[in-house]
Amino acid sequence: MIDNLHFAVEAVWKVLLVGLVLGAGLPAVFAVGVRSLAWGTGGAAEVAVDSPPHPVGRALAGVCFLVVLAGIGLGLTIVIAAGQGKIVSFDHVYPTIVDKPK
Amino acid sequence: MTEATLILVLVIGTALAFDFTNGFHDTGNAMATSIATGALRPKVAVALSAVLNLVGAFLSVEVALTVTNAVVKVQDKSGAPIPELTDNHGYALLLIILAGLVGGVLWNLLTWLVGLPSSSSHALFGGIIGATIAGLGTSGVNWNGDGSKLDGVVGKVVLPALVSPVIAGVVAAVGTWFVFRITAGVAQRFTENGFRWGQIGSASLVSLAHGTNDAQKTMGVITLALIASGHWSDTGAVPFWVKLVCALAIAVGTYLGGWRIIRTLGKGLVEISSPQGMAAESSSAAVILASSHLGFALSTTHVATGSILGSGVGRPGARVRWGIAGRMVLAWLITLPAAGVVGALMWTVGDALGGYAGPLVVVLALVALAAYLFVRSRRQPVHPGNVNDEWTGTPSVSVRKQEVAA
Repeated sequence: MIDNLHFAVEAVWKVLLVGLVLGAGLPAVFAVGVRSLAWGTGGAAEVAVDSPPHPVGRALAGVCFLVVLAGIGLGLTIVIAAGQGKIVSFDHVYPTIVDKPK
Repeated sequence: MTEATLILVLVIGTALAFDFTNGFHDTGNAMATSIATGALRPKVAVALSAVLNLVGAFLSVEVALTVTNAVVKVQDKSGAPIPELTDNHGYALLLIILAGLVGGVLWNLLTWLVGLPSSSSHALFGGIIGATIAGLGTSGVNWNGDGSKLDGVVGKVVLPALVSPVIAGVVAAVGTWFVFRITAGVAQRFTENGFRWGQIGSASLVSLAHGTNDAQKTMGVITLALIASGHWSDTGAVPFWVKLVCALAIAVGTYLGGWRIIRTLGKGLVEISSPQGMAAESSSAAVILASSHLGFALSTTHVATGSILGSGVGRPGARVRWGIAGRMVLAWLITLPAAGVVGALMWTVGDALGGYAGPLVVVLALVALAAYLFVRSRRQPVHPGNVNDEWTGTPSVSVRKQEVAA
């Protein structure tokens, strides 16, 4: 019982941390992308109706959406790797696929 | 046909029925928000989810033969059934599994009727725990594991159920808050359109993860039955036909769509908009993947529900129907004991009658009760045409109100 509680507490803060970074961070990045796109498009999309288009905004939006796509890619990799009995390791900071520790 | 063959056939059939209810019970976890916000038309959403579940089920080459080890002690570490239960082609073990499955299926159907999401894995575990207690006594249950890792009823069922909605809710609330802060003032056609895509992407990830996790459980149960009865001996692999039928059963179930549950999740808890939907599904995907990655598997249902609630908490001025959330939590709390009582009852009946009659009566009881629940559901059907209607209460409550009025 105590062992389980101990393991659970250890896992909970990790899941919460990763969840916040990816689960809340990526939507925030996506929102920045949407905002940039509106800014880049200008006109009626923005807060002020007659604001001019900004190409920088479109570029920034592109970067944001790429970051989000990379996040989805990471998620897909984890799912597929888990199905093959592998695990995505972050030991080298960048993700690598390794065998699941037994 | 011998007794052993009969009970094996019944176990496989009931396991597939469970897999099927698992599918439609959980469609809403991934797709309720996309359906509620109109990002996907209802039929398209369930078709997408079904395909991803099918793909997900085949993605898992890793065998989940030891699925029952988390909560009961009927298998050894390799996945082989314990020798005491393998006499007469595993009749004793098969009866426990059959009774447990019936408990799981009935709980899934009952919660579906009243439109409440509840964890299918907990229902299955509950049924099997109940049948095991009836058959082998409380010592047959793995309450706490051996202390080397998160395990047992406490570590694999109770603790995850308590923390998962909270974690998911916090993540979704923070995400939603950011999204609304960042996009405040941006024209709605931009936000709605943009976030719809984000929502579909994150919901698809949840569906795929669901397929890889949940179909495996039924594959594990059927393979255990095959090993116990002497029809399969390899504890390192699942027969291909088992994989195929399980993948199909969960996909067909998903495609059928548990519209009653989708409606509660999509319309009942929170009036959801696309940005909230995206924040909720992203939270679900991130929390499910992070937790299974860290070996702290959380129920998709609890996570998804927590996320949707969180997306209501995080949006300034949004209304959350806490009464419905409370009913869900209540349902989660009684999932394990309720499915357990049914499992125990079914085992007792099956064991008392024994032979051919025992398992047959158990399955007939399941069929009769399932038919009754289905007929009840027709009184107030929920389907793709009315799934997004204005919220007036969970199905069962409305039925009662109508009866009073009449």
